[in-house]
Amino acid sequence: MKKKELNHELSLIAFISLLSVLICSLLLTSIWVHIGAINVKQAVGGQALESSEKKPTLWAKMQTQGNIVFQLEEAPGVKKNIRVFEVQGRDGGVNKEAVYTHLTTLVKLLPNLQTALVKPNAETFYEDIIVLMDQFKKVGLVDLGVSPL
Amino acid sequence: MIKDTILESTALESPLKAASQIKPKTGGLKKNLVASVILTSLIDAFSILVIYLLVNFSNTGEILYLSKDMELPQSEQSEVLQRTTLVKIEKGQMYIEDKPIEPSELVERLVEIKKSLTTEGKYTEDMLALTLQADRRIKYNEMSQVIQAGSHAGFSEIKFAVLAN
Repeated sequence: MKKKELNHELSLIAFISLLSVLICSLLLTSIWVHIGAINVKQAVGGQALESSEKKPTLWAKMQTQGNIVFQLEEAPGVKKNIRVFEVQGRDGGVNKEAVYTHLTTLVKLLPNLQTALVKPNAETFYEDIIVLMDQFKKVGLVDLGVSPL
Repeated sequence: MIKDTILESTALESPLKAASQIKPKTGGLKKNLVASVILTSLIDAFSILVIYLLVNFSNTGEILYLSKDMELPQSEQSEVLQRTTLVKIEKGQMYIEDKPIEPSELVERLVEIKKSLTTEGKYTEDMLALTLQADRRIKYNEMSQVIQAGSHAGFSEIKFAVLAN
């Protein structure tokens, strides 16, 4: 009985054509700039005061030159120097590292802190607001809000 | 003797010998125009390209059009952008879905959009959100008008468009 041949020739031309078509279609449809979103819940309408549970809330008041004043609300028992704390800006913008350090300390102190509200001033740049919200999300503050002027 | 060996017989029958430029079997010093392509490395390179492009492939599609003058802020914690009502601020001009609009008409137009969304009955809670697209150097006094108008019109969520890192 003749032994079955195990070696087969691959049709490389067809294989190359297939790969070329795949590469062309992927190059045409690929997105080089990925656009994402930072989602912020806005208050719509009113809500009864009794129904809303009081949770610790962090206010971030953005001032000129990237300075931010952090103020904790509904957090009794927290020392005043932690409750109100100012982070100086850097090069006219938000100092990311200093903000992150302060927020990490706050989250360790208050593990149930999840809400942060940003209060920019009229001259605050969009970029600085996003940098600040990025830091909030990084430390686990997921309920974000922005206060209108 | 070399003639008796298997090497001699295979060397004579080899197509490589006929194509040799040093000692061509036929045609004297005729230049060989057939270039050999190393197919294995070519296929390797192609496969790597395909894998890279497949990994980077995004099926969300290009939702926003960015003009060359607009630079979005960068974010490390961004979420996937979903298509909602788009409000764009470009060079001091406001647009709703690429149609220019005056700030004084913004609330009215957004109320109409929300009404049309809710009356069609084909909306989800995610659709009742505004996507705000603006340059990273824009000041908050311009953005605030959109945020306020959105709240007045009943849009419960604002999605700030950013460049995902």
